[in-house]
Amino acid sequence: MKKIRDRRSFFCNLTLLSLSITNSSYARNYKLEITQFSSLMTATFDKLYAILRRDLLTTIRHRSGFVLSLVGTFTELAAFYFLSRAIGSGFRPDGVAFFPFLLVGTGVYTFFVMSVQAFVSAVQEAQQTGTLEVLMTSSTGPVELLILSSISAFAGTLGNLLIYLSAGVAVFRAAIHPNFFSCVAVMICSLVVALALGIAGATLQIAFQKGSALLWLLGSGIWFLSGTMFPVHSLPRPLELLARAMPFTYAIDGMRQALLDGRPISAMAPTLAILAAFGLVLLPLAILCLSFTLRRARQNGTLSFY
Amino acid sequence: MNRITFESVHKIFRHRPALRNWLGRERSGETIALKDVSFSAAATEVLALLGPNGSGKTTAIKLISTILLPDAGSVKIGGFDARRNAHDVRRQVGIAVAAERSFFPRLSARENLDFFATLDDVPRSERAQRIAETLRDSGLDEHADTLVMKFSSGLYQRLGIARALVKRPSILLLDEPTRSLDAGTTAHFWTTIRALARQGTTVLLATHNFAEASAVADRALLLHRGQLLADRPIAKGENADTLRAFYFHSTGEVDEKDS
Repeated sequence: MKKIRDRRSFFCNLTLLSLSITNSSYARNYKLEITQFSSLMTATFDKLYAILRRDLLTTIRHRSGFVLSLVGTFTELAAFYFLSRAIGSGFRPDGVAFFPFLLVGTGVYTFFVMSVQAFVSAVQEAQQTGTLEVLMTSSTGPVELLILSSISAFAGTLGNLLIYLSAGVAVFRAAIHPNFFSCVAVMICSLVVALALGIAGATLQIAFQKGSALLWLLGSGIWFLSGTMFPVHSLPRPLELLARAMPFTYAIDGMRQALLDGRPISAMAPTLAILAAFGLVLLPLAILCLSFTLRRARQNGTLSFY
Repeated sequence: MNRITFESVHKIFRHRPALRNWLGRERSGETIALKDVSFSAAATEVLALLGPNGSGKTTAIKLISTILLPDAGSVKIGGFDARRNAHDVRRQVGIAVAAERSFFPRLSARENLDFFATLDDVPRSERAQRIAETLRDSGLDEHADTLVMKFSSGLYQRLGIARALVKRPSILLLDEPTRSLDAGTTAHFWTTIRALARQGTTVLLATHNFAEASAVADRALLLHRGQLLADRPIAKGENADTLRAFYFHSTGEVDEKDS
C-alpha cells in the first residue's frame, strides 16, 4: 500500500495497481486497493477540475484575446475560401473540392501548432512569473501536472478546431461526409502525437529556453511538407519521403479520409496504425526527455531561466 | 527527531555565457553557493538564516523545497532524502519566496489559493474553510475576491505567505517574508510564526532583518560566501542590536551604523 502511494506519477500508480490486482499475493488487500484507487482517481479528477477551471476563467476574463482569436479564425477561413474560388472548381486534390481540402488540412495543422504553443507559452509564462518553481514544490509530480495541464490545453485547441470546421461548413458551405467513429479514432491518435510534441516543446523551453524553436519549425518548414495545402504526392520524391516520415501527414490525411470521404475505420487501418505507432514511440520518449531535463534544471538551478 | 538535516552540503552554480556574449565580457565560471554546510532543525524550532546577499540563504531554502538538488552531501527532510524522495519531501514543505508574482493574474486571491491547495492535496471537504481561515489570518479577507493582477507588492507577499500556510506544512520556508509588509502586518505575522512553531511546525526564515530574527527565531545560522560561519541560539528577548553586532563581528563587514 505504501509502495503504491509513494510513486510519483499517477500513471505509475495506475499501472502498479492494475498489476497488483492481477497478482494473487495482493488478493487479500484487494478491497483496500480499490479504496485507494478510488481516492487516487478522486484526487486526480479534483486536480484536473482545478486546472480546467483556472484556464477557463483566465480565457473568459481575457475577453479581448478571445474575441480576436475568433475574428482571426473567420478571416483565415475567408482567405482560403476566396483562394479556392480563384483557383476554380477544376482543381480537386485527392478527388475532393479544394476548399474542404484546405479546411481540414489547415484546421488539423493549426490544432498541432496551437497545442505545442499552449505548452510552450504555459511553461514560458510560469518561468517569467516564478509560478513554475512554486508548482514544482507542490505535492503533485511534474509529469502528472503537465499531463493534466495538457488535457486542459487540448480542450481549448480542440474547441478551436471544432469552431474552425463548423464555421467552414456552416458559413462557407464546405461539403463534408463524416464518419463519426473514424473522426474520433483519428483525433485520439492525433491527440497522443500532439501531447508528445507539446511535451517536447516544454522540454526545449526548460532545457534551452527555446521552446519557440519547435514552433518556428512547425510554422515555417513543416507545414508545406505535411499536405496541409496540397497533396504530398505532388512533392519531388525525396521531399515526399520526408513528408511520409512525419506524423502530421497521416493525421491530416486521416482526417480528410474520415471527414470528407466518410471512410469507415476498417478502411483506414493503415493510416491509424502508423499514427498510433508515432504516438506510442514519441510520447514515452518525450516524457523521458522531460524528466531528464527537469532533473538537470534542478541540478543546475536553471528551472526559472527564460 | 530532526525535521531538517543538512550533511556536508555543497552547491555550485556553473555559468556558461550566452552565445551572443561569447565575444563580450561575460565569461564562464562557477559560483560556490554552499560549501560543506551542515545543520539540523527539530520540530517547533524557528531558525533564522542570516547573511549578506549571495551568501547562500535562498539556495538552502531551494534545496529543502527540492527546487534545487545538491551537488554533494545530503539534505534530509522528515527522514526523506530530497534527491531520492522529492515527492515525500514536497508534501511536508510550504514555501513563500521573496519575489512574489508567482500567481495567476486573472484569478482572485481565493481562486489562486484554491488552485494551489488542490495541487497540494488539501482534502476537498476542508479546502473552503481552510482557505477562508488563511485569508482572514493573512489580512486578505477584504481582497479575497479581487483579481491578483490588481494587487500591490504587500498584498502579493501576504498571498504568498497564505499559499504556504494553507497546505499546513510541517516545515515552513520563508524567504524575506516581510520585505514589503507594513509594520502592523509584520507584527501579526511574527505572532503567527511563533504560534505555528508552538503547534509543531519547523520554520526556516531567510532574512536581513535583525529585529525579525530576534523577535521570532530560536536560533540563528549565519551564512557568508556559502559557508556556515555560526550556529547560535537566540535568547528570548535578545536585543536586535546584539544580533547585529554578532553578525558584523562574524562576517568581518563594516557596520556603517558604528562609523
